[in-house]
Amino acid sequence: MSTETFTNEVIDINSLPKYEEIELQHPHSDYWKIICINLSVFLSIIGIGLVTLLIFINEISAYSFLIIAVYVALAAILFFLFRVSFKKRGYAIRTHDVIYKSGIIAESTTIVPLNRIQHIELNEGILSRSFQLGSLQLFTAGGQTGHIHISGIPIEKAKNIRDLLLKKLDLTESQPIDPIV
Amino acid sequence: MNNDFSKPQRQSAAGIVIMAAHTTLSIGRAFIFFIIYAFVKIQSAYLLYVLLGLAVMVLASFLFAYLWYIKFTFFLDKEKQEFIVNKGIFNRDQVIIQLDKIQQVNINQSILQKIIGVYGLKIDTAGAHGEEISIGAIDETSAYNLKAHLLHKKVIAESQQETEIETQSTEETPFLSISSWTLFKVGLTSNYGQSLALLAAFFYTVIYEGRQLLDSFKIDRNAIESTVTGMLTIVTAFILIGVLLAVLLVINMVRTFYKYFELQISLHKDALLLSSGLIAKKNTLVSPAKVQITKYSQNYFQKKLNMLNVSLKQAHFGESKKGHEMQGNTMEIPGCSPAECDELLRMILGKLPEPGKIFIPDWRFLNLPVFFKLILPVVIFLIIALNVPEVKPFIAAAVIYLLAGMVMIYLSYKKHRISVSEDFIVKKSGIWDISHEIITPYKIQAITTFQYPWHKGVDVGHLCLHTAAGQLRFKYGNYTEIKQLVNYWLYQVEHRNENWM
Repeated sequence: MSTETFTNEVIDINSLPKYEEIELQHPHSDYWKIICINLSVFLSIIGIGLVTLLIFINEISAYSFLIIAVYVALAAILFFLFRVSFKKRGYAIRTHDVIYKSGIIAESTTIVPLNRIQHIELNEGILSRSFQLGSLQLFTAGGQTGHIHISGIPIEKAKNIRDLLLKKLDLTESQPIDPIV
Repeated sequence: MNNDFSKPQRQSAAGIVIMAAHTTLSIGRAFIFFIIYAFVKIQSAYLLYVLLGLAVMVLASFLFAYLWYIKFTFFLDKEKQEFIVNKGIFNRDQVIIQLDKIQQVNINQSILQKIIGVYGLKIDTAGAHGEEISIGAIDETSAYNLKAHLLHKKVIAESQQETEIETQSTEETPFLSISSWTLFKVGLTSNYGQSLALLAAFFYTVIYEGRQLLDSFKIDRNAIESTVTGMLTIVTAFILIGVLLAVLLVINMVRTFYKYFELQISLHKDALLLSSGLIAKKNTLVSPAKVQITKYSQNYFQKKLNMLNVSLKQAHFGESKKGHEMQGNTMEIPGCSPAECDELLRMILGKLPEPGKIFIPDWRFLNLPVFFKLILPVVIFLIIALNVPEVKPFIAAAVIYLLAGMVMIYLSYKKHRISVSEDFIVKKSGIWDISHEIITPYKIQAITTFQYPWHKGVDVGHLCLHTAAGQLRFKYGNYTEIKQLVNYWLYQVEHRNENWM
């Protein structure tokens, strides 16, 4: 590409669409139920373990109150953290890219341009299937950190998004590729 | 052997020897101390059994190698543009590589291969980690034929794109070659860290295995240890440090010469052909379009000697879900003069990166490293020192550590910056080795920005650009500016559909 054609394209950076001002969509509220169920299963397994320990080992029964207190505190903290992270998650599909925002303490936003997506995966777990939810994974060549995993999308919507993205992938791939600068 | 590789064929029969030697060596290496131990310790009556065991091992290696040779076939599917390898002694593995996914083809020759007169050929793909293909033994003409066939398709596809840039210099003469004198200087000035690690690993094995040997010889370890500690006066300590430094330099030198001896870069059609190596000559073909990150670095000594190290990082992705990040495969070209470096950059990027707008980090960049690397360790050390009398005399060391650490962190803060222009993003970083990493916006795969809630008020945030060869991070920048940059790069990536590889 020569410089002449580029100067024609010079654009005002401030007039570009702003990714940070996009209205994000949040995971379906049923997804919170799934998180709760998963957490409850996890906590009850630990709980059962603790109870058996308390019953069978006499030495630690003196500390049973402390152990239970720690357990309850842990449960509360976990639920709180997951609630916060659930509230913070959001995604948006734009014409040319996908945006995903997440993070409990630090808010991180990852943007994947559609023409950089390598492949797409749609996962449905047993639990999420009963709630009609699915999760979408978008892979890029950017490795582990450069991919997006959006959970808790209503399955119909997830399929629509997948088809939409796939269609766009095909389109971008069939387009003639510009010569490299 | 036919020349177009369209029919399944085996490697050269010498492959059996290569493979057997390889297996024997790797088994031998795993048991080396065990074998020495056996020879030393075992009574001569049992020596026969040991020798017999070794013979069985070698025989088994040969059998294994023979079966491997029989089952290992490869061919080129012209229609589908695929290279197919069948292998596996007990299980049947088929590796299929699409030709356009091939990153590079390496032709190597180890000492053994040199003696037998065959070459090794390695195919590096853009696919997952384990799918690399390595053909152990192939004669020279076949090797170069196969290489040409494998890269043929790509050369056509890419030559159309880059003819304007490259045609003026298609002669095959090397445009860059590194002399032994330059290598000598490189060996003196770089890669201390790696050599140090090598040295440490070496000493660790020597000490560890030495102890085991001593145990087996029933030598009184205490006697040796006490003589060693007795020798450690201050004078000898200084001599020891001096010797260690000298050894370090020598190792550095040997490594540099071994890897980069007679390094030459020439233009081969549209790709760069790198060849180097002292004992095993290594040829690597790199297509400029596949280079994801171009990096050049320089430390203080090298600046005085007027030379730079250039490294080219290629994509080596593969969507690994298991969590281990793929290390990009990197090509190092040490000891370029500034002019040669510019030439190389021009070759790979099309033109030299022009100075762009510079973004520097906020002073809060200093907070975390100062706290975790300086204040926290020093406080812990002081607490220990005040309570343990043996450590007390070394309190002065904490001051030195604090000062040195302060200077280093400040330097890393001062050097951390990105410069953005229309066509390039250049990230500068480093403390001693100052490196510049250059990418073009269309190599970006994904962008992540993030911000801690306590930085919201002061408008500070972080940026991470994911490319197929690793990440580029810019920390503690002005978040408003970062967001603006991200929008700009997204525009650049999305409004044209440029190929990133």
